[in-house]
Amino acid sequence: MASHTVIDELKRTQILELLEQGKRVDGRALDEPREITIETNAIPKANGSARVHIGDTEVICGVKIQPDRPFPDTGDKGLFICTAELLPLSHPTVETGPPQPHVIELARVVDRGIRESHMIDVSQLVIKKDKSVIGVFADNVVVDYDGNLFDACSYAATAALLTSKTPKWDWVDDKPTLVEGEDSQLPISTIPVSVTMGKIGNHIVVDPNGDEWDIMDARVTITTDSDGNICALQKGGFDGFTQDEIIQCGETSVRVGAKIREKLKAVQQGGQ
Amino acid sequence: MDNKRKYVIPGDLVTTGPFRPEQNVILEGNKIISTTIGISEIYDDSVKVIPLTGKYLPKIDDLVIGKVISHTSLSWELDINSCYVGFLPAQDVFGRDFSAHADELTSKLKVGDLVAARIANFDRTRDPLVTISDRDLGKIDSGALVKISPSKVPRLIGKRGTMIQTIEMATNAAITIGQNGWVVVSCESPEGLLKAKKAIQMVNEKAHVANLTDQVKEMLESKGES
Repeated sequence: MASHTVIDELKRTQILELLEQGKRVDGRALDEPREITIETNAIPKANGSARVHIGDTEVICGVKIQPDRPFPDTGDKGLFICTAELLPLSHPTVETGPPQPHVIELARVVDRGIRESHMIDVSQLVIKKDKSVIGVFADNVVVDYDGNLFDACSYAATAALLTSKTPKWDWVDDKPTLVEGEDSQLPISTIPVSVTMGKIGNHIVVDPNGDEWDIMDARVTITTDSDGNICALQKGGFDGFTQDEIIQCGETSVRVGAKIREKLKAVQQGGQ
Repeated sequence: MDNKRKYVIPGDLVTTGPFRPEQNVILEGNKIISTTIGISEIYDDSVKVIPLTGKYLPKIDDLVIGKVISHTSLSWELDINSCYVGFLPAQDVFGRDFSAHADELTSKLKVGDLVAARIANFDRTRDPLVTISDRDLGKIDSGALVKISPSKVPRLIGKRGTMIQTIEMATNAAITIGQNGWVVVSCESPEGLLKAKKAIQMVNEKAHVANLTDQVKEMLESKGES
């Protein structure tokens, strides 16, 4: 999608000229994300849900929790699967049909950030070892596109999971049986926050908007956990990062991520 | 006869009687029915609905701003903010002695360049043919592109160009308005540019408001003081 849009030369020149002066096209500082709003329980019938705006980017995430068969090699762990989808109404270049490679990447990066931070303690999601476990499915839907879907989907999925209520199942007559009225929070151990940075020329900008996204040479998405440890990283684009730049990006992701984590914490406390 | 403008939605009866249906209305029996959301206008012998929103449909002789999105060895393709792609033949730029072997199209216009162009021919069956061989047409080298709804373009120009003159005078900006809703603003001072862009966005958002020219004037003057 974003790779097919042609940005006009005037805009490109303007963005580059402003960056030379240390400014951005929308007036933000280089390490300043756009305004983030998180609304939970956007879908009342889901086990958990959230609607996230980052500037004009909008993502809705729904969480479904249900019993499932475990993977053969991890019979003592529950499932967590995160997906992503772009609606054709989100951007003029999006078409229906099987997901494009960049959408598959989006889902994987978001999934990995949450999975590798061990946000959900999946070992507590077992109904009967090797037979039945609880599966947690977080499905992101992009409603409006203005750059940086990685972070938007990540915050949406995290916020939805933080406020999800999981039903209880018992193992009765060789099958999982729902126990009514015993909903509880998911076993949450940490709050992962992804921060995406774009490299335009020699400048690194946090949370690129749609125009910046179209002209950037490389990008890196770094996910940190509540202790400030980096737990996942994805690099994209044709250009590279120097060692110093990667270190700088790492530090930025911890610093910026900490502020965003406060927002997610507030969401978690509001939902309980 | 009720000559007043009124808001209509698709299916609304605009009027009855011997009128000629013009834009965005259909004639059923002697009823004239709107096909879009907009403001209906009844003239002496015709009825039309001015849409509140909508895509740009090319009309011959329209000035449009286009963005080069692709090219073949014989022509460029322009994004003109429409469901049609603008077709700019290479002869138009290189002249009659254009040779597909000798001339490289990217030497004149490359992907991402903006051009001011005029719709030379269009019949809805093929992509509109555009031309840049006229005075004031051609590649745009400086300025900022502002995108507004094509249906708001008449409002931005105003009655006999009052609105656009107001903005240009107050900000010292040169504004090129494409009928397709793309507007290029160039101005020497960054403040003027910002103000002009803001004024254009204001027109885009408040196109339905009466006395808009005064409101825009007020905004331009108040900002000037601060």
